[in-house]
This record gives sequence, structure tokens and C-alpha cells, in this order.
Amino acid sequence: MKTEMPLSKPIRRFLNTTEELLDTEISLLRQPEAEPQGTLVDIYTYDIERNVIIFPAQYIGLLKDFVIAKHCTNLMIKGAAAKKGEYKVCSYTEDSVAIGLRQIYLDALKDEVNKKDKLPVQKLIQMLFILFTHFNDDLNELPWNAIINASVYHRMPKIRKTQLYHVMKESKNDMDEMMEQEDIVPRRYFVLNKAMFYARDMFLAKTLPADELMPVLNIPQMKKFNHLEVKEMLTTRWTHTAWYQSKVFGDNMLDIIEKPLTQVNWSAEPSLDYYYDLYKIGINLTNQLISYMTMKDWYVWEKPKHLLMAHDNSKDYEKKALKRIFGDLISDSWEDDSS
Amino acid sequence: MTVKEAVELLRKGLSYAKRTKYKEAMSYYDKALTLDPKNPEAWYLRASVLIDTGRSKEALVDCDKAIALDQNYAPAWSKKGLAYYNLELFKEGLFASTRASSLNGNDVTAWFIKGVCLDELGRSDEAQEAYGKSLELEIILDIENEKKKVGR
Repeated sequence: MKTEMPLSKPIRRFLNTTEELLDTEISLLRQPEAEPQGTLVDIYTYDIERNVIIFPAQYIGLLKDFVIAKHCTNLMIKGAAAKKGEYKVCSYTEDSVAIGLRQIYLDALKDEVNKKDKLPVQKLIQMLFILFTHFNDDLNELPWNAIINASVYHRMPKIRKTQLYHVMKESKNDMDEMMEQEDIVPRRYFVLNKAMFYARDMFLAKTLPADELMPVLNIPQMKKFNHLEVKEMLTTRWTHTAWYQSKVFGDNMLDIIEKPLTQVNWSAEPSLDYYYDLYKIGINLTNQLISYMTMKDWYVWEKPKHLLMAHDNSKDYEKKALKRIFGDLISDSWEDDSS
Repeated sequence: MTVKEAVELLRKGLSYAKRTKYKEAMSYYDKALTLDPKNPEAWYLRASVLIDTGRSKEALVDCDKAIALDQNYAPAWSKKGLAYYNLELFKEGLFASTRASSLNGNDVTAWFIKGVCLDELGRSDEAQEAYGKSLELEIILDIENEKKKVGR
């Protein structure tokens, strides 16, 4: 890694260790329009020569370092999986899309019976695949997010305050997700989606318990959080929201996340075996969440290329799945609309 | 007239530098410095490009020229700190970044470089303090940015 940007000592060390263990190269790229949480473009997912961690140009200090630490941990997990076994992601096929869409449709119909304002059929049909891929994205992201945050917290105490700020910000953004679609999305899926984030937040709140938000408290905008710990902050936020009913599901999901992660020795020697174990835990955890949400046949574990192909073919998969569910009824409305 | 022209050249150079078109930026800065070598900002801007292109040693010379023209020119001190850090001269980096942060208490980079240099020098507690200040400023900027985005 060669960079002209300043990095704090633990991050510099971690980047070097990652490059050494994985025998790979990492580039850091500052971009004005980058996502606030940054992006990892890695050789285990894409056909590229070296890994790139992209972060917002305005992040120049520890905010940048935390984004790098997070993506570097993710890279270690992916790389260890690729080197020790096979790196796989949660993907979907033509058949699995049909199964998922049918289930969402049946659940949506149950909801529609009790609704005063019925959802226009066209909108309902469009919602099916959007929701299906939404859960696919979340399942590929959320369990790893919990693991990665826990790992960074334990391994890099110097950037904990920064992590705290990121976690708060990310939690707020995730909670706002899907809110505009609350009346459209079948209740079950709305609740499950919120429950997943609730579980992640609660797990992180338990993982990051001792650190109060000093010195962030000096910032006027953060004053209201004075003397509150993370757990209190996140709980307060959740209990004051419309989707508090997600708590029942969320608590069960928290159990699923917490059990394997409390067994991890976070301060163990960082080796390929160690990160491979984290990968296996992540897979197991994702499978348990999938089972809990009864989405077992919706997704398949495949190489990252499979998922990229699935994204490319998604329009086709969606169309074929809708044909299977609705038969010839779909042709007019769907094809007219999509043309 | 030449001063005005030089300012215009610097503006153009900066716009190229922001898009990481360093060669073009450098050419404008060189021209600006020929027209007006007494502008500390011109030396500082050229130092920034030199650092971004991995030429920290040369950047130090430009930072010193800017500082010679204006002892209290905070951005040049901050860049000098960064150049020293890149050259792994942490004691010198600490001196320059401390000077930068006392001239401009809101310079995130200066506080961060100070923290990094202190950390490298094994002064962990002091490093945490400097990191804390840098984080605080960075979060304020981040919140402001988010607000702007929402406004858009």
C-alpha cells in the first residue's frame, strides 16, 4: 500500500497486516461523491487487479480511518474465506425468485383484505421483487456489519469514539429506510426488516457499552445525548418510533446474533484462520436469520459472480416469476408497464 | 495586473487539482508563481499538489517559501506538518502541526497530523487529546454537510 494520506498508527498497521496475510494490494481512494459509509471494491468479488477502499473526500481524519478499518476487516474476512475455502454470498436464481415472490404476494394479499385503501394491483406487483432484493441486500450486509463493528471495536480502541458516531449515524439512516413505503409493504416484511436493524443496533449497543460520547459531546448538535450511554441512546431512539412492535422479533434476532458472537475471542492473534472463523460465523448467522424469517428457499449460497449475474438477469427472473404466479394475467399489465 | 492574473491562474489550477488533474494544476501554479512569487497561497497550493503526487520533500521547500512570506499563514504550516509526516519525520511534523493548530484551531488536518505524530512518538495520551479535537471538528463538518444534503 502506498498512500500520501495520513493514517493513524493502528490503521496503518492493520492495512499492512491485511496486505501481508492476503498477499494482495489495497488502494485508498478519496471521492467527493462517495457513500458516507464508504465502499469496498475487492478482488474476491470483481475481476480487478487490486482492492480499493473508497471514502468521502471530506473525511480527512479519524472518520476516514474508521471507514478504512471497517472495509479492511471485511476484506480480511472475504480474503480468508477465499484462501481457506470458498468465498460465497447470498444470491438468488430464477426458481428461488419465484418462490420468494409467491410468498410475498400471498402475505400481501392477507394484508390487503384488512386495508381500507387498497394498493393498486400494478403497484403491488412491482413491490414484490423490490422487496425480495431488498432482503437479499440486507442479508448480505447486516450480519457482517455486526461482526465487523465488533471486531473493529475490540481491535482498535483508539478509534472507538469515531465508531460510536458512525454507528449512531448509520442506525439513524437504517431506521429511516422503508419508512416511505410503510403503507405499501406487507406488515410482516416491514416488521422483519426493522427487527433486523433493531437486533443489529442492540447488539452493537451491548458491544460498545462503556464509552460515553466524549468528546463528541462538545458539539452543540449532540448535547441532548449528554450522559447517556450508547445502549440508552439506541433504546431511546427505538422506543420512540412507530415500529416498536418490531421489538418482539428483534429480540429473537438479537439472540441469534448474540449467541455466536459472544463466543468469539476478539483479541486472538489476527490470522487467516481467525478471520475464516469469523466468515463461518457470519454464514451461520445469516442462515439462522433466513430460517427465522422463513425465507429458506428464497436464496442460495453462491460465488460473488453468481450474484452479479443474478443482478444482470434480475429483470428476466422477475418477469418469469410473475408469469409463474399470475400466468397470462400478467402479460398485458406487466409488459405494457415495463416497455 | 499581474497579481490579478496570478490569482486567476491559481483559481484555475485549484479547480484542476480538485479533480486530481495534477499536471494541469501544476502548470497553472507555476505560471502564477512566475507572475507573482510573493503570494504565499501560490506556494502553499503548489505544495499541496506536490504532496498529492508523492513529492513531499519538494513540498517542504514550497511550504517554507510560503511561511517566509507570512509567518502566520496557517495552511502552509499544516501542509508542512503533512509533508514531514509523509517523510516519517514525526518530531518536525509535530512542531509544524502544533503551530498550524494554534494559528487555526479549526484545522482538522492539523489536529489529526498532530495526533498521528504524537502517536508515532509514543505519546499516546497526548495523541488521544489531539485525535479527540480533530474528531470533534470533523463531526461538526459532517453534520453541516448532511444538513446541506438535506437542503438540496
